[in-house]
Amino acid sequence: MEASNPTTRTGPAAGKPPASEGTSEDRIMKRVFLSPAVIVLLLLSIFPLFWALGLSFTDMQRGGSTTERIAEAAGETGQGFLGLDFSLTMRNYERIFNDERLQAAARNTLYYVFIGVIVQYIIGFGLALVLNESFRGRNLVRVIFLMPMMTTPVVVAYTGRMMFDSYRSPLADLLRHAEDWIAGIPLIGGDVSLAAPWLTEGSWARGTIVLMDSWQWIPFVTLILLAGMQAIPDDVYEAARVDGASSFQILRKITFPLLLPISATVVLIRGLEIFKIIDVIVVTTGGGPGSATESLTMYIYKTALTFGNYGYAASISFVLLILVIVFATVFLTVTRRIAPRGMY
Amino acid sequence: MRRRPLWKSILIYAVVLFWCFIVLFPFYWLGTTSFKKPLDATRLPKYIPYYDFEPTTEHWEYLLEVRGDTLWRHFRNSLIAAGGSTAAAVLLGAMAGYGLSRFRYHWRGLNWRNDNIAFWIISQRFLPPALFIVPFLILYANLDLIDSHIGLIIAYTMFNIPFAVWIMRDFFDSIPVDLEDSARVDGATRWKAFVRIVLPLSAPGLASVAIFSFVFAWNEYLYALMLTNFDAITMPVFIAGQNTQRGVEWWYISALALTAIVPVVLIGLMLERFLTRGLVAGALKG
Repeated sequence: MEASNPTTRTGPAAGKPPASEGTSEDRIMKRVFLSPAVIVLLLLSIFPLFWALGLSFTDMQRGGSTTERIAEAAGETGQGFLGLDFSLTMRNYERIFNDERLQAAARNTLYYVFIGVIVQYIIGFGLALVLNESFRGRNLVRVIFLMPMMTTPVVVAYTGRMMFDSYRSPLADLLRHAEDWIAGIPLIGGDVSLAAPWLTEGSWARGTIVLMDSWQWIPFVTLILLAGMQAIPDDVYEAARVDGASSFQILRKITFPLLLPISATVVLIRGLEIFKIIDVIVVTTGGGPGSATESLTMYIYKTALTFGNYGYAASISFVLLILVIVFATVFLTVTRRIAPRGMY
Repeated sequence: MRRRPLWKSILIYAVVLFWCFIVLFPFYWLGTTSFKKPLDATRLPKYIPYYDFEPTTEHWEYLLEVRGDTLWRHFRNSLIAAGGSTAAAVLLGAMAGYGLSRFRYHWRGLNWRNDNIAFWIISQRFLPPALFIVPFLILYANLDLIDSHIGLIIAYTMFNIPFAVWIMRDFFDSIPVDLEDSARVDGATRWKAFVRIVLPLSAPGLASVAIFSFVFAWNEYLYALMLTNFDAITMPVFIAGQNTQRGVEWWYISALALTAIVPVVLIGLMLERFLTRGLVAGALKG
């Protein structure tokens, strides 16, 4: 996020002298205003984060730790770490390296993030270019664009299942008609099969899940890029046209570079959001077939709630965190290099 | 404005119409499926009511009358969780946003100033929620918050605060300080100036924060699934649960899904300008 650099912020607050900071009322009110939100975040975000880190080094299970259970079975207590009822262990982290299901989930998650971001950015950018032109009913179209974003992802997933059913769906119906039509063409016609296992075969299902997420979030990318395009002053385009630039040159040399900073933000936001994906997968494939579509969040959820292994769930959640941090850092480093700040 | 060549106009309208179709068709399908007889929904697709299938209202009657109490219970849970967390996030977010906009902070231990604090707060929004699954489970079990409204409200407030602070800070930056200053010269306290003068002026910002918070909490699935098991189950968990409990009854699920999305989609469409504004403020300044 660009505002992370404290020197770049320009707003009324930046240059203005502190508003009568000296009064004792303000010294108190200053804390009163900020503290509640900070306390909530400390209690509910930072504290659980460190707690999870601690838990990831223990053998905690639902209903007690492994140590506690062994001790109960043996009729003893307090054998664990410092006489507490659990043991410290590195076993969770050792297990990470041999857990093939975890590796599959990590691969799937990265697939969703990268393919999803690429699909959504390319289509979103194209649509923004179109919406940036004037045409009749533009305001209505913008409103229509907001609808998928409001829709509950669980509902998106159910609707997606109806859309991508291999037999009953309108899509399958359309493809069957296309098959007939192709078969009717002389010379190249013949038996072509366009039927696809949209949700029943692993690699297809991963793609279909990306499509569902894209259906929901392409409008988001579009609306933000559109706002960015509308912030580009008209005389920039005019000057380029006077110099005889073609539409494509204007796009490549002006619109796209000027939009790079906001593109970086929108891609980063989408990427980080897709890392959290779970609901669409639960409803469409349940992670299957096998665990071909399972995401990391889903695997963590299952480990914690279905298998009840709290320690291991906590340690794989840090695998997810590390992936997220690596993604964000690499992304920000690369985009900072390509698109230096202050291009607007 | 130069005149556009005809092919370009055609292309623009074609793309726009195509995308509107892509967006709207699934909603049309949900709507028609909820009026289809089971046989019309499970065989080859039927598209147009009265033309290739005979609509029936029996699923809606079943949903609203026979299952009405259950539906209303989950709907109410969603309203409470989303409404409560929205109110809390708007209040806390506006306060913190105001603080970050009007005062200068310096957390000496970390050497953090306003921008660092604001960045730290927004970065919380992007932490994967999966990180908190285990701590929340243990914490909530110990505090007896599992399956309670207040538990969901607390969790959603936590998720909504970062975005609320971010947008509100930006909004307050655009409101001149002179108004509050003159009110304070006239003897109003800081708090009074905030509540009586600044907040009313920032109604559009508050509206966009409220919509975003509400929609997020309304649609949230993971935490609702994890932290509820009967009494406090919200609409997304209820709908997702239909998958296994009853086999897949598409006609019934379609009706149910519509009851879940119609309120938020309507709110979104009615308050569209605040929504776009919030989106853009969040991303452009982000």
